[in-house]
Amino acid sequence: MSEPSPINVLAPNHKVDTITRRAALAGFGVLGLGALTACGRNTTMAASPPVDGTIESKLNLYTWGDYDSPDLLGKFRDDFDVLLQVDSYGSNEELIAKLSSSRGTSGYDVVVPTGSQIDRFAGHDLLQPLDLSLIPNFSHMDPNFTDQEFDPGNKYTICKAWGTTGYAYRTDVISREMNSWQDFIDAAGDEASGRTSLLSDPWELTAISLATLGYSLNTTDDKELEEAKKIIIDEIAPHVRAYFGSASTGMIQGSFDLMQSYNGDARQGFNEVENPDDWEYVFPTPSANLWMDCWAIATGAPHPDAAHEFINFMISPENSMPQIEYIGYPIGVKGSEKKARKAKFDNIDLIFPDQKVLDRLEASIFNEGMAARVDILTEAKRRSGAA
Amino acid sequence: MIPLRNRVFGPAALSFPTWAYVVFFFIIPVAMVIFFSFGYKPDIYTAVATDTLSFDRFPEAMTPAFMSTFFATLRISLLGTFLCLLIALPFAYWIAVKIAPARRSLALALVMVPFWTNFLVRTLGWQIILSPTGFFSEGLLALGLTQERIDILYTHTAVQIGVVYNYLPLMILPLFVAIDRSGTKLREASYDLGANKVKTFFKVTLPMAMPGVISGCLLVFIPLNGDYITATVLGGASGSMIGQLIAEQFNSAQNWALGSAMAVVLIAATVIVVGVGFALLKIGQLIAAKANSIPISNGRV
Repeated sequence: MSEPSPINVLAPNHKVDTITRRAALAGFGVLGLGALTACGRNTTMAASPPVDGTIESKLNLYTWGDYDSPDLLGKFRDDFDVLLQVDSYGSNEELIAKLSSSRGTSGYDVVVPTGSQIDRFAGHDLLQPLDLSLIPNFSHMDPNFTDQEFDPGNKYTICKAWGTTGYAYRTDVISREMNSWQDFIDAAGDEASGRTSLLSDPWELTAISLATLGYSLNTTDDKELEEAKKIIIDEIAPHVRAYFGSASTGMIQGSFDLMQSYNGDARQGFNEVENPDDWEYVFPTPSANLWMDCWAIATGAPHPDAAHEFINFMISPENSMPQIEYIGYPIGVKGSEKKARKAKFDNIDLIFPDQKVLDRLEASIFNEGMAARVDILTEAKRRSGAA
Repeated sequence: MIPLRNRVFGPAALSFPTWAYVVFFFIIPVAMVIFFSFGYKPDIYTAVATDTLSFDRFPEAMTPAFMSTFFATLRISLLGTFLCLLIALPFAYWIAVKIAPARRSLALALVMVPFWTNFLVRTLGWQIILSPTGFFSEGLLALGLTQERIDILYTHTAVQIGVVYNYLPLMILPLFVAIDRSGTKLREASYDLGANKVKTFFKVTLPMAMPGVISGCLLVFIPLNGDYITATVLGGASGSMIGQLIAEQFNSAQNWALGSAMAVVLIAATVIVVGVGFALLKIGQLIAAKANSIPISNGRV
């Protein structure tokens, strides 16, 4: 028997001897260095093509998960013959990272940042100014939701949806009356222990205990945040089973009796559970978040005409109803509450909270207290995991 | 000396597919992770910067939350690997030995069928099975085997079940190959020499299958240690795994430096655990060899 060749290779026999380990490794090195140097850095933003009045054949939408009526998206696709591609993210940070690291070449046209964070986006050239003349339906927007503090004159954004935060609970498990965040904390530690879920959002989590302590939900005071942390870690976290971005899935699975939730998500859950009568939603006292998500166009958007047309389409009065009914949040179009009440949408009080409720809400601000809030969320998750 | 040109473009270039795979999918990614772990996050708009390098990210990575999650993960992966081995060993033995050779490939194909579905989708499927309103709970309730609904979704137990399900085929296949390769002759010889079935299994089949056991354990343990999908889908607050913390740094916190440092710590720890496992195995084998050896003196037993 002859010695088996150490290398099996598809090459002429006389060449096999010239294939050495060193030769192979040299090849590895050349390839690797080449690839690494290709990862250079470039810091200017790519520019968007100018708007020319013709709608492009494509549009890339980057938004929060399940945040537009699929029927409407399909209608836009058909009406304007545009290939519409939707991609989703779970936090403003993710959106910022995608847009800033790609320097205007992300390929996304329409994005949906949260109002409180707009100056982080606009200040870093991540959004391009809107051309309101291309969005005639802007005239149908309720003035309460235009010209906001974070974007005077709607230079960059238009309201997409707004809502607030509260909690949903099972009335057959928690029989007393629930009104405040203190009630939430008490129930979490009692009837709903081990069957409570929180939002996986640092600001929202911290707001629970800041509200019960009577502090501003946007406080940057270290002592106040420390007090808030203590309540969350000691009184809430040990009873928490999971942290969700959206409460509706957990509601359907039946693993929870008390869930911190945005109003529209709770409504989506109520519409899908088998026992909607056992669920109740609370707009808790003394306060909660009032947030607004906004339509905007990314810097370097490759399809600016289609992007303006899409925003115009989504805020048109005739399309507002299917959108509100699907997502469960008001979208800031004039007269839509009246129309929705007339159409008798399910759980309509979850979509449009009372004026009394609206008056006590506080809009979230992104400020220097955010790092402390992120720490509180991390620590709370650890405490819940150890329970 | 062979000129560089010939090294890159000569016959050695025929191994290009292998190189390319190793370079692009292993060396470069791992090198980047290691390199980034010495960097830092300059501001919220930038995920990583490497103009000044330091070891600062490593102590930052090893917070109490990280360590406790790490040990919880280690428990899940070790127990998961053991459970996979426990289930896969008799199963692989059955396919390799007991089943008619004509049906063997069908049985193996059936083991592979779950891989036709995406990993995430398979795991989401368990969410439906394990939820209190799911059919597992409903079924037990209907059969009267339990009075209460089974409520294990979003717990440690759910993650354990999920990982055993997800990684079981990776244990069955190498075990099958090892047992199948060892052939029937040695087992027959063992019977001829008077060993019963149990003794044959432990003295002949199992030692012959050892390479399969080792590669199966590696194939299950290593990816399982870094898995974050199963824990994200089934785990809730109490079943979190280390992979989730790393993914969080990359996806939501956008701190690639810290995420890379965590990943490097995980890689190092995995290597250590595997190394310790091998050492224990070697020691065990030495002891077993000593215990089983027959001392011979003067040619007589």
